[in-house]
Formats: sequence, C-alpha cells, structure tokens
Amino acid sequence: MTIDWVAFVEVFAAALVAAVVVVGSYAVGLRMLVRAGRVPVVTPAEFTDAITVISEKEARRAAKAAAKAAKKNPLTPAQRQVALWAAYACFTICALAVLAGILLIVLK
Amino acid sequence: METATLIVLLVIVLALFFDFTNGFHDTANAMATPIATGALKPKVAVLLAAILNLVGAFLSTEVSKTISHGIIREDQISPPDFLPIIFAGLIGAITWNMLTWLLGLPSSSSHALFGGLIGATLVGASIAAIDFGMVMSRVVLPALIAPFTAGVIAFCATRLAYAVTRRYDSKPDGRSGFRWGQIFTSSLVALAHGTNDAQKTMGVITLALVMAGWQDSAHADPQLWVIFACAITIALGTYMGGWRIIRTLGKGLTDVKPAQGFSAETATASTILASSAFGFALSTTQVASGSVIGSGLGRRGSTVRWGTVGRIAIGWVLTLPAAGAVGAVAALLVVWFGGWGIAVDAVLAVAVILGLYLRSRRNEVNAGNAMSEVADSGMAVKVKRNPPPTRRQRAILREEQRQAALERRRARRENGGGKR
Repeated sequence: MTIDWVAFVEVFAAALVAAVVVVGSYAVGLRMLVRAGRVPVVTPAEFTDAITVISEKEARRAAKAAAKAAKKNPLTPAQRQVALWAAYACFTICALAVLAGILLIVLK
Repeated sequence: METATLIVLLVIVLALFFDFTNGFHDTANAMATPIATGALKPKVAVLLAAILNLVGAFLSTEVSKTISHGIIREDQISPPDFLPIIFAGLIGAITWNMLTWLLGLPSSSSHALFGGLIGATLVGASIAAIDFGMVMSRVVLPALIAPFTAGVIAFCATRLAYAVTRRYDSKPDGRSGFRWGQIFTSSLVALAHGTNDAQKTMGVITLALVMAGWQDSAHADPQLWVIFACAITIALGTYMGGWRIIRTLGKGLTDVKPAQGFSAETATASTILASSAFGFALSTTQVASGSVIGSGLGRRGSTVRWGTVGRIAIGWVLTLPAAGAVGAVAALLVVWFGGWGIAVDAVLAVAVILGLYLRSRRNEVNAGNAMSEVADSGMAVKVKRNPPPTRRQRAILREEQRQAALERRRARRENGGGKR
C-alpha cells in the first residue's frame, strides 16, 4: 500500500496560501477603504431569525459612526485617493487569486 | 441482456437520486454562513448555490475518475455480478443518507456512498476486489485530514482578517464589508461542492456503464450526458433542499460575524478545490464543519465545546461502516436470492424514499429533521460576547490609566497649592 503523503502536503500548502492571499488582500482592501474615509457599512440583506450579530438599530448607529469618521479623516485628499486606489488594487488581487485557482483546476 | 439493461437503468436512476439527496443534504455547507451573517437573502443564497453547483460539476472530472477507476478493482469481479453490487451499494448509501437526515444525525453523503459501495463489494464479491491502498489514500486519509486542515486554515485566515482590520482608536473598522466578500466566497464553496460531489455520482454511473460494456474501460472520463444529468440533478437537489435548512439555521449558527464567515468559506473553498484537483473525494460537510470550528476558534476569547465536537466526530466516524453495513445487507440479498434480491432491494429503496417523503410531509421544518451539521459545528465553539483585549489593547489601556493617574496627581498638587 503506497500512500502519496506529498500530495496531502501539497493540498494543504496550496489551500493555505490561497486562503491567506484571498483573506489577506480582501482585509487589507477593507482597511484601505477605511483609510480613504469610505468606511463600508453593509447591513444584512434581510434580518431573519438566524441573524443575531447585528440589529437594525445597531446598523443605523454604525452608519452614523462611519459618516462621522469620514468627516474627521486626517488624510489629505491626495492621500485619500491613494488609499482608495490601494483598496481597489487589493480587491483586484483577491479576485485574480480566485480566478487563477479556478483556472488551475479547469486546465489540470 | 435485458436484465442487465434493466439493472443499468436502475443503477443510473438510483445514482441520480443519490445525487439529488447529496445536493439536498449539502445546501447548508455553502450557504449556512452567508445566511447567518445576512450577506445574502435566503432565497438568493439557495438559487446561487444551485446555479454554481451546476457550473462546478463541469469544471473537473478528477474525483469521478477516482470513483470509476480506483476504489473497486473491476478486473476482480465478473460484469454480471458487478452491476447488482453497485446497485446494492447505492441502496446502502441512500438508506443511510435518508436515515441520518430523518434523525438529524451528522453524516456525510460522500462517505455514505463509499461505505455503501465498499460494504456491497466485500459481501457481493471478495476482499480482493477492493483496492485498499486507494481507499486509504483517496478516501479514508483525506476524510481524517481534510476537516483538520480546513480548521487550521480557517483559524489562520480568521486571525489574519481580524488582525488586519483591528482599530485601536475605537473608530469604525469596516468589518461589515466582509459581507460583500461573503457573497463571492460562499459562491466559491457552492462551485467547489459541484466540482467534488457531483463527480461522485458521475463516477458511479461511469463505473456501471463500463461494466455493462457501454463504455470503453480505457476511457475513465464520464460521458457528456452523464455530466449534464449529474450537474442538473445536484443543482435541483440543492435548490429543493435549501428551503428546509434556512429556518433552522438560527438555532445553530448563532454568532457568526462577517469576517469569520468570510474566512471559513475561503478555507472551505480552497481546501475542496485543491483536493478536487488532486482527485481526493472529500466530504464537503466535514470540510465546512472543520472550517466553521476553526474560524470560531480564531476569534478572541473562544473556547471549544468538546461535547458537541465529540458528537459530530462520532457521526463522521460511524457513517462509513454504517453505510457499509447497509450496503452489505443489500448485497447479501442479491447473493442469496439473485434477481429476486435485486427486486427486494428496489422495493426497500422505494419504501425508504417514500417513508422519508411521508415523514417530511407530516413534520414541518424544525431543528430535529433538518440537516444542520454545519450549524451544529457553529455550536462547537463558545465565543465570549466581550472578548479579552489583545496585547496592544492592554498596553493602550495601561498607558491610559497611567496618564489618568498622572492627571489626578497633578490636579491634587494644584488644588493643594491653591489652598495654601
């Protein structure tokens, strides 16, 4: 009985790298959006019974806090623009990583 | 020849029905977390899962090859004996799948299929007909390693997501933006599910076609009509099954934050997709559950409820032998009674399916009869409402206290000076 242990290590490494790239780039993208003064406030699509993480009241409060933080942004308009482009770049990396992963599987 | 044709048709119908139950059973794997965090409306989530399962089924055929040309040694079994064995194996898989669904026990559709096929082959043919090396390296070991791997990846990803977006000045951190990301990552999980789970049924049908002489054994790829049939069936099952799960989610995934859900889904999708590329036939339920537990542990102040973890693990461990036992009994009927045994098996299969249908009609959706293994996994980790501060937050707090003490001392000194 021969077991290809290297294949397991390869799967783990590939999955770990992919997850870190996707989550890391998306998180940095969000951070950059916040730096650019565009704090994303995404309320749940529907307040079902399953959702206990945020109430409608809390969502409204979060939107107000985000607007207030955007007004008090210490960055200059040029710096904000750079942060915004950096955010878009991060989201693009994230999307490209996902596409590359799917392509690798299709082409294998 | 006519009997063989009939059995092949029965195997195809039964395999497609298994595919339907697989989709039905596993909708929650992809869509449990985005519904729980509110990233997607339940109806949209289920429709998206169904479409992406359909697309995913066309992306890769590696897992299908593992099933059709790996686990069972076709050369060790004569073709007339082989088709009833596959038939019996499928009955074992479907029966166990339905039973666990009815009882609300954690289980894996994939392992039910493998268990059923292996059990039926052991009884219907011989031990030599099973390639244990392949079973070990492509089924058993991935089953043991994959949930752990997914958990570790989800843990690291969650830590990373929180560390990058953490703010120390109490200003908005924008973490609700992970809800947007969840739409894509949950779609990716649904896609990954299609690449892995739809392939299993394709493999079974291809195996039956090869043994019936309807397909050249040198070509392991499933035929186009098989791919289409399996893709459509799993998509239909996903769409139909989802409705029963949605309302029960609230009881399981009580506290999944968007950053955590995003990380868990990314870990699930990357593990399944990487495994599919290597031809490992994974249980998507186990991988998704491992990710949910791992991402829960990635949050500060979380602890594991080992009782719940144990219950889930027992369900996982039991699935393979239990489905194998049912498959073996079904094969035994075929061995003892020949053609009549197949008829008895068919009647039993219809009875099980009918029983499930009647039971589901009698009992409306509730936590007991809906398949919520992934939701159960959410309960395996206890997360504190107010997590303990990080090292940097503690340092900031100490600094604030020091400054406040200095201020008080200065104020006292000034007051004292004023009195004098």
